[in-house]
Amino acid sequence: MGVKQSKFLIGALLIVGAVGYLIYTSIQETKVYYFTIDEFLLNRTTLTNTDVRVAGRVQDGSIQWDPAALNLTFRLTPIEPGPIPVGAIPTGVPVSYQGILPDMFAEGRDVIVEGLYTPDQQLVASTLMTSCPSKYEPEIEG
Amino acid sequence: MTHLGTLALYLASLLAVYAIVTSLWGVRMRRTAWIASGAQAAYAVGGCVVIASIVLLHALLTRDFNVEYVASYSSSTLPLHYTVAAFWGGQKGSLLFWALIHCFFSAIVLFQNRTRNQELMPYVTAMLMTIALFFLGLLCFITPPFERLSFIPGEGSDLNPLLQNYWMTIHPPALYLGFISASVPFAFALAALATGKLGDVWIRTTRRWALTSWFFLSLGNLLGGRWAYEVLGWGGYWAWDPVENAAIMPWFTATAYLHSVMIQEKKDMLKVWNMTLVILTFVLTIFGTFLTRSGVISSVHSFTQSGLGPYFLTFLACILVVSVGLLLYRLPDLKSENEFDSLLSREAAFLFNNLILVGLAFATFWGTIFPILSEWVRGVKITVGPPFFNQVNGPLGVLLLFLTGIGPIIAWRRASWSSLRRQFTIPLAVGLVLGGLLFVLGYRNYYAVVIFSLAGFVLAGILAEFSRGTRARQVMLHESPPQALGRLVGKNPRRYGGYIVHIGVVLIFFGVAGALFTIEKQITVSAEQSFEVGRYTLHYTGITDREDAHIAAQIATVKILVDGQQIDTMHPEKRFYKKQNQPTTEVDIRPTLVEDLYLVLGSYDAPSGLATFQVFINPLVSWIWIGGLILILGTCVIMAPNPAERQAFALARTSADMRGQAVAE
Repeated sequence: MGVKQSKFLIGALLIVGAVGYLIYTSIQETKVYYFTIDEFLLNRTTLTNTDVRVAGRVQDGSIQWDPAALNLTFRLTPIEPGPIPVGAIPTGVPVSYQGILPDMFAEGRDVIVEGLYTPDQQLVASTLMTSCPSKYEPEIEG
Repeated sequence: MTHLGTLALYLASLLAVYAIVTSLWGVRMRRTAWIASGAQAAYAVGGCVVIASIVLLHALLTRDFNVEYVASYSSSTLPLHYTVAAFWGGQKGSLLFWALIHCFFSAIVLFQNRTRNQELMPYVTAMLMTIALFFLGLLCFITPPFERLSFIPGEGSDLNPLLQNYWMTIHPPALYLGFISASVPFAFALAALATGKLGDVWIRTTRRWALTSWFFLSLGNLLGGRWAYEVLGWGGYWAWDPVENAAIMPWFTATAYLHSVMIQEKKDMLKVWNMTLVILTFVLTIFGTFLTRSGVISSVHSFTQSGLGPYFLTFLACILVVSVGLLLYRLPDLKSENEFDSLLSREAAFLFNNLILVGLAFATFWGTIFPILSEWVRGVKITVGPPFFNQVNGPLGVLLLFLTGIGPIIAWRRASWSSLRRQFTIPLAVGLVLGGLLFVLGYRNYYAVVIFSLAGFVLAGILAEFSRGTRARQVMLHESPPQALGRLVGKNPRRYGGYIVHIGVVLIFFGVAGALFTIEKQITVSAEQSFEVGRYTLHYTGITDREDAHIAAQIATVKILVDGQQIDTMHPEKRFYKKQNQPTTEVDIRPTLVEDLYLVLGSYDAPSGLATFQVFINPLVSWIWIGGLILILGTCVIMAPNPAERQAFALARTSADMRGQAVAE
């Protein structure tokens, strides 16, 4: 390989290196742990002050919504009300959220909460996503 | 009637198997009659799929709710055009739609090449029919679209309200056309590998197909962004959602291919790389389809878990094994003796542009599948969101924009200092002056300043090319300026169409950079209250109700004032689609060339009369759509019939030895 070709190789390696470096550092900076509510409740003691994304169900009767202040609080509870894992607190985790309600947010809906788990043991949500089970595959009523 | 549809699908599958077997066996046994019979069968597959499609459309239009698909995706009150769109609104219908387009494209390819490329064609037929067979197999055995219910529902459950939007009726077909046409260059690439006819012919035969695919991928992504912007109501047009990523990844690799293929035509180099890009683009289209349908990765757009995942993965694995196997087998024949001459050359700019585009595709891929990877490797699901993609793809995009300014102007092989000075003085000056001006004016968002100056740099370079070419014709051929410009583009549509596409790309960058200055505000007010956002005063006067059989809506009236003068009235809505039992947000947007005022009615509390608004001021967004239009226009210019190209093609076909000269423009 001549000098010219090795110049190209160096240029290519620089770009590949830059892409790799950007990917690596950006993942370190922006990663968010994803848990189901059960996994989260099991590991909650180790997750204080961590950015997490938790999938769970909005507990019936837990929604408090102040439209003037755009303040929402609710409890996120397990989706399957089966046996409660050892060491877990059965009542779920309180979530607070500031902002507009997503269209499909309601009691009993499955949601994904992304935010910070604070030392006072609540999830301060930065985003609230509703996952509608009937999104593209709706139920048919007879 | 639906039995006819099911029967047509089964028959199509059998015919596809027949087409594959006779084509390949015909080559082996050197029987042209068998090969011809295979091609006939491929047409017949298309005929059967057309029948199945008509049957489904008929069921939708006659509102035959006993058919499960019709009951799931339409209702008696759904307007006609959305009823037609329901054809591709659901999982099963969209797979049938896919098969329909694929067979249509296959038929065009077979017809175009009925007397040409006789050595390649049996393999092309076999490959195209294998892809068709995969989708037909799904339709016959896994997701039968004509399944009937055990009862007749009085009413269907309606099309998802988010899909009841005019952009949504054309966005999926555009994207599908882009995805599906990528299979044509792929089929030819594999045929070239299988036959060892690795010269220019397969590339020139599929050039228009690669461009068509790129055209529709671009259109699909633009329309998708437009749909998200108008319908999803979060104030933006692109969220790096897995489904959006699925659509943009093949666009990155297809863009890379369109550039690197020029190096192969010019210098007979990068053959392996080009093969890889064609294969990769096709694999990414199938991977994208897999992502949206498997439910492996949660997304706002995705079809729910459907058990299709394993089939797509198996198909994907087969494609990869066959393609990589053939590529490795032919590797010795794909070597090139030529070398790159200088880093200061168009080849170098294209090469680095390719690496960045593939880097963009890889970063997007990596971020999309990272949750799965991290779960496999470390047992924890780690997700990355838009910040990751912006952090990685942002800088790479800026680098790409810089190369966009260099690649088209710099000389092939080796640029001399005098040519560099001649070509780059004006663009560099424009870029630097623009950057300096923005700095003096007080812009301290360096990201934006860099993008704006680069945009100036690239635009100046392209416009200088147009003006140089036009002036030369004016002087030498005594043409009037518009005539000279028209003929300049007409004589060399590939080159100048490419420049037009680049202008579009620059404007899109310009519009995207506007997002760095977005203003957002959320506020709750009661009737006749005013609030301020940016330079606007918004005065909320109240809510009116409107109701018909299909939709109940709460419509807010908001007066828009600037400096005490009313300039407009906006009406954001909250809609309730009755059949789907689901509220949706209907955004109102006031677009201008400078900025969009984007108004969302977040919620309305009837008892208290309080309305919550979310307001965005999105600078420069209109330029994305304008740039998109120019890009589409430029692509049409590139695809325009071109006598010079046809000549070169004929030459390349008849004499492989003269390939080098034939390509020279």
